Amino acid sequence: MQKLKKISIVLFVVFCLIQLLWIGAPVFMAVLWSLVDVDTPWSYPDMFPKKLSFSQWSYAWNHTNLKRAMVTSYTVATLTSFFTLLISLPTSYILGRKKPRGKRFIETVLLLPIVLPGMVIALFVGRIFTSIGLVQSMGGIVLGHILLGIPYMTRLLTSSFESIPQDVLDAAQDLGTGRIRMIFKIYFPMIRLGFIAGTIFVFIKSIEEFNLSFILGLPTYETIPTMLYTYLGYNFHRTYASIISLILTVPNLIILLLIEQKIKTSLTPRSAAGKG
Amino acid sequence: MKKVSRILLLSLVIFVLAGLPVMAGGGKEKKEASYDIAAMSWDEIVEQAKKEGTVTHYAWYWKEHWDKMAVDFEKAYGIKATVVVGDETSNFNKAVAEAKLAKGTIDVMNIGGKGVKIAFDENLFYGPLKDIIPNSKYLDKNLLQFQEGFVTKGYFIPQHRNQTGFAYNPDKVKNPPRTWAEFEKWIDEHPKQFGFNDPNKGGSGQSMVHTLIKQLAGGLEKYEGDVDVVESKVADWDNVWNWLKERKDKIVFTSSNADSIVRMNDGELDLIVAWDDDLLNKMKQGVIFDKVKMYIPEFGLAGGGDTFGIPNNAPHKAAAAVWINFLTDQAQQQAMSDGVGAYPARDDIKGTKTNLTTEDRKYAIPWFPACYKKYMIEQFTKQVLMSK
Repeated sequence: MQKLKKISIVLFVVFCLIQLLWIGAPVFMAVLWSLVDVDTPWSYPDMFPKKLSFSQWSYAWNHTNLKRAMVTSYTVATLTSFFTLLISLPTSYILGRKKPRGKRFIETVLLLPIVLPGMVIALFVGRIFTSIGLVQSMGGIVLGHILLGIPYMTRLLTSSFESIPQDVLDAAQDLGTGRIRMIFKIYFPMIRLGFIAGTIFVFIKSIEEFNLSFILGLPTYETIPTMLYTYLGYNFHRTYASIISLILTVPNLIILLLIEQKIKTSLTPRSAAGKG
Repeated sequence: MKKVSRILLLSLVIFVLAGLPVMAGGGKEKKEASYDIAAMSWDEIVEQAKKEGTVTHYAWYWKEHWDKMAVDFEKAYGIKATVVVGDETSNFNKAVAEAKLAKGTIDVMNIGGKGVKIAFDENLFYGPLKDIIPNSKYLDKNLLQFQEGFVTKGYFIPQHRNQTGFAYNPDKVKNPPRTWAEFEKWIDEHPKQFGFNDPNKGGSGQSMVHTLIKQLAGGLEKYEGDVDVVESKVADWDNVWNWLKERKDKIVFTSSNADSIVRMNDGELDLIVAWDDDLLNKMKQGVIFDKVKMYIPEFGLAGGGDTFGIPNNAPHKAAAAVWINFLTDQAQQQAMSDGVGAYPARDDIKGTKTNLTTEDRKYAIPWFPACYKKYMIEQFTKQVLMSK
């Protein structure tokens, strides 16, 4: 028994080390490359940069489209999350509570944007949007991102609506609760987790979306991923690519951690009992 | 409940549909230009440009340089220049997508190697500009008439000249190959240390294959003036493909102009083909060690330059013309050369901080016609990349 415990500990440590290497090494390299001093390039045969500084960060911040791209990305992601939520709420309610005829078919159709390759969707959407004058516009990009966000949001909200016990709704009705009061006092609190999870998914999906932003927005609206693509493609620049990767990753991680903390708090027995 | 959800859905649809035109910028109407700058004197063009007060320029490099120029331009003329730095392909996609509109959103575009053919095939540009822009008479005569082997008929105004050359790491390459015999011997003795990019992915690779055609398929003179590929003239290009196939294990094909430079910095390659301005820019950005050297081998490498064009449906053609003329002024050309290391398009000033000097440039060769370039890229893919 003691031997088995030891093996478990060793395996756990090995697993942690592999995870650390798997996730940590690329992040470490990105941080290192982003800090290479502009006047002292990191060249062969140096194992590590000779000098580290924030000179490349400063240049990228002041002289590239980074600020504009960040404003565009976060504006698009916020608008996308908001509109996707508004559009998905009624659909999810119908699918989750009313069980309409052809429910499975509707759910499958809603999932199609996830199944099809991103570039294929982007090319066809781009073609349609060009004909109606929606390319190179903020509205076009947001609408495109909404199309990709709807499957995630609808799926999560539908599950949340499905999980509301009918007893609770019946009891509320028996006690004479009005429809508006039902929405705010029963439906919204009970779908809160799906609501938060869906918003995170859509927000992060939108922030990281490349294909649609590339086809619909460039060059008028540059987002963080399209900028990253520029520095990984024709104008390959490892330092700027590292800086942009970190800028893309870190805020998303913080949002994810904060929201996860929020979800955990929501799931504590105290809050679940309605006393939080 | 059904009623509530229906109302909710309906109001949402109305809200989204009402908002879209505003977000799409559909609310703004642009003033139609009712003049032709070709029929106006330069003073009239400047006067009209000041009335327009704004110009939008699409480029894909030198953001910092354009921003500086825009500040000086506004001081000089009171016209606001907005330079959108995107991606070459995307810029052209946008111009093509807007071509059918009466009014586009682009006033000035940079035109590089990729764009010349699209520009003429799609009839995208207004011109000729040669007789409208006063600075034209000081600019490279060849680039004013030809770009990347295309007869451009003065539609495009030269912006800067560029040249491909061999770049090498002097710590590892003491005697870089200068003649053809030395070059072949060097590749044999240093397998996997010479590289150039796939010609589908950038001009420096195209220049290398172009030179191989010159060297192994009977020179470049025979192609002069052709607008379509003449089969008999490309019959001996097999020599080139065979030469490359025999050395496929000794030459590295990289994925872009920049990738070649990065691989040399990483120590993988010691001799590469690169653009002079691109290399200098990468040195300034700390992408590559500054000890790198550059030259043109005696068997030649091609060069050319980038140009400016004004789309047919540019909303501010007068402001576009004044902006282009400003960028080709002596002071701005000198500032460009000093700032980004590009060789000036003007004949009356010399690039002082460029990687290749005027002396180096005696081995520069012109491109053959664009039809052959397109064919060359297709054949390289088929005969070399896809072969076993």
